Amino acid sequence: MSGAHHIVLIVLFSAAVQSGTTLLYPTIGEIFAERSGILNLGVEGMMIMGAFFGFVVTYITRNPYIGFLAGVLAGGAAALIHAFVSITLRGNQVVSGLALTIFGLGFTNFYGQRWINLRSPVTVSQMSVPLLSKIPYIGPIFFKQDALVYTSYIVAIVMWFILYKTKVGVHLRATGQNARAADAMGVNVYATRYWWTFFGGLLAGAGGAYLTIAYAPFWLDGMTAGRGWIAIALVIFAMWDPLNAMVGAYLFGGIDALQLQLQAVGVTIPSSLLNMLPYLLTLIVIIIATLIVRVKHISAPKELGIPYNREEK
Amino acid sequence: MIRFEKRESTSTSLKILIPTVSIILGILIGAVAILLKGINPIKVYQALLIGAYSSKYTFSETLVAATPLILISAGLIVVFKMNFWNIGAYGQYIMGAIFSSYFAIFWSPHIPKVIMLTVMVIAGMVGGALWAIIPALLKAYWEVNEVISTLLLNYIALFVLKFLMYGTWRDPLSHGFPLSKPFPNNAQLPRIIPHTRVNLGLIFGIIAVFVVWYLLKKTKFGYEIRVIGENPNAARYAGMNVAKNIIIAMIISGALAGLAGMVQVSGIIHLLQIKINPDYGYTAIIVAWLAYLDPIVASFFAVFLGGLASGAYQIQITMQVPFGIVGVIESAILFVLIGSEIFMRYRLVFDVGKKKHSGQEETL
Amino acid sequence: MAEYILQARNITKKFPGVLANDHINFDLKKGEIHTILGENGAGKSTLMNILDGIYYPNEGEIYINGKKANIRSPFDSMRYGIGMIHQHFMLVDTLTVLENVILGLKDQSFFINKKQIADKIIEISDKYKFDLKPFAKIWQLSVGEQQRVEIVKMLFRGADILILDEPTAVLTPQESEALFEILKKMKSEGKSIIFISHKLNEVMEISDRITVLRKGKVIGTVNKEETNPVELAKMMVGREVLFRLQRKPLERGEEVLKVENVEAYNDRGIKVLNKIGFTVHKGEIFGLAGVAGNGQKELAQVITGLRKATSGKVFLLGKDITNQHPLVIANSGTNYIPPDRLKVGLIPNLSSIDNAILRRYRKNPIGSGILVNYKKAREYTESLIEKFNIMVPRIDAPVKLLSGGNMQKLLLAREISENPALLIAVHPTRGLDIGATEFIRKKLLEVRDSGMAVLLISEDLDEILMISDRIGVIYEGRITGIMDAKDADVHKIGLLMAGSTEEESATVH
Repeated sequence: MSGAHHIVLIVLFSAAVQSGTTLLYPTIGEIFAERSGILNLGVEGMMIMGAFFGFVVTYITRNPYIGFLAGVLAGGAAALIHAFVSITLRGNQVVSGLALTIFGLGFTNFYGQRWINLRSPVTVSQMSVPLLSKIPYIGPIFFKQDALVYTSYIVAIVMWFILYKTKVGVHLRATGQNARAADAMGVNVYATRYWWTFFGGLLAGAGGAYLTIAYAPFWLDGMTAGRGWIAIALVIFAMWDPLNAMVGAYLFGGIDALQLQLQAVGVTIPSSLLNMLPYLLTLIVIIIATLIVRVKHISAPKELGIPYNREEK
Repeated sequence: MIRFEKRESTSTSLKILIPTVSIILGILIGAVAILLKGINPIKVYQALLIGAYSSKYTFSETLVAATPLILISAGLIVVFKMNFWNIGAYGQYIMGAIFSSYFAIFWSPHIPKVIMLTVMVIAGMVGGALWAIIPALLKAYWEVNEVISTLLLNYIALFVLKFLMYGTWRDPLSHGFPLSKPFPNNAQLPRIIPHTRVNLGLIFGIIAVFVVWYLLKKTKFGYEIRVIGENPNAARYAGMNVAKNIIIAMIISGALAGLAGMVQVSGIIHLLQIKINPDYGYTAIIVAWLAYLDPIVASFFAVFLGGLASGAYQIQITMQVPFGIVGVIESAILFVLIGSEIFMRYRLVFDVGKKKHSGQEETL
Repeated sequence: MAEYILQARNITKKFPGVLANDHINFDLKKGEIHTILGENGAGKSTLMNILDGIYYPNEGEIYINGKKANIRSPFDSMRYGIGMIHQHFMLVDTLTVLENVILGLKDQSFFINKKQIADKIIEISDKYKFDLKPFAKIWQLSVGEQQRVEIVKMLFRGADILILDEPTAVLTPQESEALFEILKKMKSEGKSIIFISHKLNEVMEISDRITVLRKGKVIGTVNKEETNPVELAKMMVGREVLFRLQRKPLERGEEVLKVENVEAYNDRGIKVLNKIGFTVHKGEIFGLAGVAGNGQKELAQVITGLRKATSGKVFLLGKDITNQHPLVIANSGTNYIPPDRLKVGLIPNLSSIDNAILRRYRKNPIGSGILVNYKKAREYTESLIEKFNIMVPRIDAPVKLLSGGNMQKLLLAREISENPALLIAVHPTRGLDIGATEFIRKKLLEVRDSGMAVLLISEDLDEILMISDRIGVIYEGRITGIMDAKDADVHKIGLLMAGSTEEESATVH
């Protein structure tokens, strides 16, 4: 019997990693956009664009990797709208981000009708990592996944390294913390913000694409269902650190997987309450994270949401 | 823009020009989107106009859609003035609908209509306000980001509604559909234009607009939220209670969103179900912004966007144009609107320095 | 031409409503210290920001080593060997010294070679006896240390031309002396230095040549040997300067403010007030001198209730007001001119009316019941504008359109019209032109003569010496000395500002 329990848990945690991957990509993306000083509340909109194009291109080309790339680029393209409005035109970033969400949901509803309920003919295949997949518990959970999951591990680690150990990271952190000083020292503030906002969109697209390519390989209207907003909350939970983002993403992936599992098993709790769980827990966690951030005197990048204008004092 | 260079006070004229241009560009971008789908956009817009404004009945449907937008945007303007980002009108609207429906569903149909409706109005406002107080408290005392908290509460509200509709509130006679039993006559808001669905809710909206206008323009509370919104440091310096103002403003905002939810179930749908159009909560944000947070101007934009929504609802069926087109047009309008504000600021500053320095001579 | 490393020709820069630089010509010789002298608002900082590429001029050219230079960004200016040390340091406080030093450098490798860079920083730092730690975070450093980081940053980039924008504003007189030694050493090594200041004594000490700016124009360039402070002052302000302001003899009355052993922490959780204590009496101006960042801001906040004191007591007219609500404290007779008028004192986007009634909207007749009577509010604002001679474009135009001097007048008018027992004024004349400065100082003396107790907190030692009756010095959150103004001199205060308490014998009460 204990063996069966063991397998159930591994299946659950393995699903948690997959669900978490749909959050990990966009969370890391938003961390970098925010680190540069740009608040992009359009993650939900960028994710749904990524999800839609990822699905459609996979469906047409029958190649999930090309589809994934298409989803990534769709998210990036959507982010460029936000970048233009908030960096070049110095518009209100909160409203622009909301507009981006409305846009993504409207766009995919408008063009997505004929794809609704279609299932993807292909999906990404699982591949075990030699040696690592043999580690008890850790192996089957983290290293018997698909290539897109492994890519997310690499992205998290590489981005952590870039953030703290490279010139690019120094420029990025300076831009979000004190744009005037960065500019005076020769950092191109506008280019830095454009690039990282775009990068944030690429990763949001990746999260959406992973959803429709691997985690739930079909298309439903509005199927990101608030994952973009959870990702934005996770940025605070992660305290703007890509490795912390992994913890947050898998935690929420775990809750999501758990509630699906419970529904599948037919637990008597109504499904609407189980569905509510991730959002409720996000709310609770964000409250706790906010309090911790305050006590620890960590704060959001100082110029988050503030447009930069060189000639304005 | 050149036309405006001559004017003394550009800010007022730009306040008309920018939203107008935004709407035109939004509609053009929508046209491109429709064209890309292989449909003739002129025909779509024609049908949309007919669907929204052509006859007394279709215009009445526009007013029906405008009513919740008027109510919600009036409340949002109060909180947006103080830079508090209530994105949660969606959830507050649902809560208003749930709270008021409780009495319609579980109270006797023989209670006098005036009493029943008064109780439902109060319940709707209380429901919305309670849902709004949560993020207000979290922000005021713990500085929890209100954008995230209000949004998460939207999803939670939706699942509360689903829980009730698939649970104890479902009408046993609904054949398993998630519908409550129909509201008895005493729980239905009276119609004010015969043969249409325009109901007392529209009057509530007009009252709300003027109450909010009065609050903002004439009262100490209006003055305080203006100061808090523009400079919270100055507000604290002057001894204003920022936390208290956040909470009061959110109670007003939530109550009006809740009232909109009540109006929708009691005045239009006449029962509680999962689809009660809470998206009005997002559209109202656009309404408020198009009006530069002026509640009276906002009510006109509410009629415009209400028309867009009700027209689009009809062409969705008749012309196979999915409702998402509304989101594309609305977001395009918003992008142009906030992107154009730079011209307003730029011009404003430019105008002050009217001194002309010309005729410099070149040396060296 | 070769004699000049930098030449500016006909530089003109317009801002909305202001001609900040009007056909400015200026030459910098190789290996000289050249001071740009001028009042606040004379256009010094604008000119320097143009040389540094932050602003782009509407007209004019810059020549470096005789060749025309096209400087469009700080990066360009760096390529021409220009390094600017801004008045507000261009440092990112969450980054380390090392990260700040390499910030923006294009020739750095993608991966930071920490060892190599740290060695080079230490090398530069040792040469000038800076004692910098490459891996310390900026926010952990004192202001003086931060300035040294700025200098290292420029030397690391191989700057030949250093521009220092009012570098002594944040230093004690002793720290300033040390800085001058560093500048002289750099000069002897062939660096050319542009020194910006409005302080005559230090200009006479450090400069080789002096160019005086007034209202955006060059008034003249003189050799240090051929001039004197009186002439420079005349060039600077265009008329004889009043060094003394008229005042009634001191009639020191009862004790109005008593601060007793107060301790408090700043926003980062660092203790910045350390058992501070002093008193301010009716009818006197108590000047509190000190280098920026020694707890002045927090002290004013504690007294006005905007920051919690963790221990100690504050008494107003004998009544304990420690940690009371700001409104309670204001109503018991304290008004406050905060250090940053745009960030705290005023609401830039609101009208003069909305700003003028900030202290009055609750009280009759402007406030009535739940309403604000805007007719009365307008009348009240008009009366302030008239009484204090405030220039506004329109009474309902946003106050951000007012000049700095008029903003400060409005703020002062609003606060002293409440006729408080105690007025706290923090940097009341910072960034103002001479006319507005004089106006504000006269008003402070006027309210003192009328019997108000005034606590003046300022980093401008001249201001403190000019109008105070008694002077206290704050250092690291405590009082290092208190003296009568007639016993005070710059040297004595300077030592106290640097933390020395040897002067305690001079303390009065």
